Amino acid sequence: MHISDGILDTGIVMAANVVSVGVIYLTGRNVKPEEIPKIGMTGAALFVASLIHFPMAGTSLHLGLFGIAGIILGKRAFPAIFTAILFQALIFQHGGLVTVGINSLNMGAGAYAAWLIWRTEALPEYLRSALAGFVGIIIPALLMSLEFQLSGYGRGIFYLFSIYIFAALIEGAVSFSAVRFFRKVKPELLI
Amino acid sequence: MKHSFLDKYGHLNSPLHRIDARIKLLSAFAFILIIVSEPRGVLFPFIYYSMVIAVLVRVSNVPGRFILSRCLIVSPFILLAAVFYPLSSMITGDFGGLPAYQAEYRIALSIILKAFSAVIILTLLVSTDKFHNLLQGLRKLRMPRLLGIISALMYRYIFILTDEALKTRMARESRTPGKLNINKFKVYGNQSAMIFIRSMDRSQIIYNSMLSKGFTGEFPGMQKTAISGRDVAFFIFFISILLVIRLTNTGQFCFNI
Repeated sequence: MHISDGILDTGIVMAANVVSVGVIYLTGRNVKPEEIPKIGMTGAALFVASLIHFPMAGTSLHLGLFGIAGIILGKRAFPAIFTAILFQALIFQHGGLVTVGINSLNMGAGAYAAWLIWRTEALPEYLRSALAGFVGIIIPALLMSLEFQLSGYGRGIFYLFSIYIFAALIEGAVSFSAVRFFRKVKPELLI
Repeated sequence: MKHSFLDKYGHLNSPLHRIDARIKLLSAFAFILIIVSEPRGVLFPFIYYSMVIAVLVRVSNVPGRFILSRCLIVSPFILLAAVFYPLSSMITGDFGGLPAYQAEYRIALSIILKAFSAVIILTLLVSTDKFHNLLQGLRKLRMPRLLGIISALMYRYIFILTDEALKTRMARESRTPGKLNINKFKVYGNQSAMIFIRSMDRSQIIYNSMLSKGFTGEFPGMQKTAISGRDVAFFIFFISILLVIRLTNTGQFCFNI
């Protein structure tokens, strides 16, 4: 799900870098000292979660956990996601150095959408948790499709990204199960 | 514990290893930016870029086999994106005839060249210094303070959490062998939640111990070393070469590529 350097139009990528700096400022303002370890460790968990692979259509996908990051951190998920993506780019070359901004905005939008759903108390918790996991993947996939199309790829790219529906369904199931686990073991994590 | 995915060759000694991390970060970013800003479909300058990359690889002492393995790992994503450039317009019936088809394949090739060049540069960046030096370099380059603290914390926990993830993965695989089914998702969920919970608990303990030792968000151990004149000279020379390649089309008139 990470976009490598050289794939997208450079103008879009650089504009995203500028926007991501603004988003870091907005989402990182007035952070309380007690929030810092939570943000840092969610970032580390996002990084490590990428090592958990599951088989899918002859290949393997890894967990994103952006929905869970949104549930746990709310708007503070963005700095954690940005740092995790920077680490993944530097350590594994997943994604790129110049594309850290656009990748973070994509995944961050997923986490933010998950947070908004999680806060909708009209829905039962099991549904909110599953939907949060689902949108945590599907929103980044939709944004990526849009960015690919803006970069000159044809409309067919939307077919390619439709495979993420399955990944999003799996992530929804994982998120539902994880939130149930949190509720039992450490409910104070759920904001 | 030692994880080989992190700065495996950072301990080597080469002219590239001796360059200040800040200069390396800026050079890598500039190099990638110059390469990706080449107009799509332009192939000729990549002969020069590949020469520059080959020299850097040779000077770095990082094994070519390692760099190749890193390229192979990310190659499915890059090749898929490149192949889909011409393919996506064909799928939807927006096919513009043979000339357009050829142009699109040229663009696909330039995407492949850009992406793999960037992967090699990134691999060289992280293989020619210790990872914590690169993080320190980012902080010295005025990375936002919050990101500096988060990255410092993340670096401390990645090793522990990776071990936890590998252990829980082994436990999961031994409990749920075979095909993917609904029970497996429950285990994936529990495993992810367990990683989060363990990470939170550990983070709180370590952060409290950092606070008790006087941590205020600053990094007093970070030496304010000045960048040497030799490193600055390298940066200017390196960027000048790249800009000459980028801004001129030296030799292109001889070849129709």
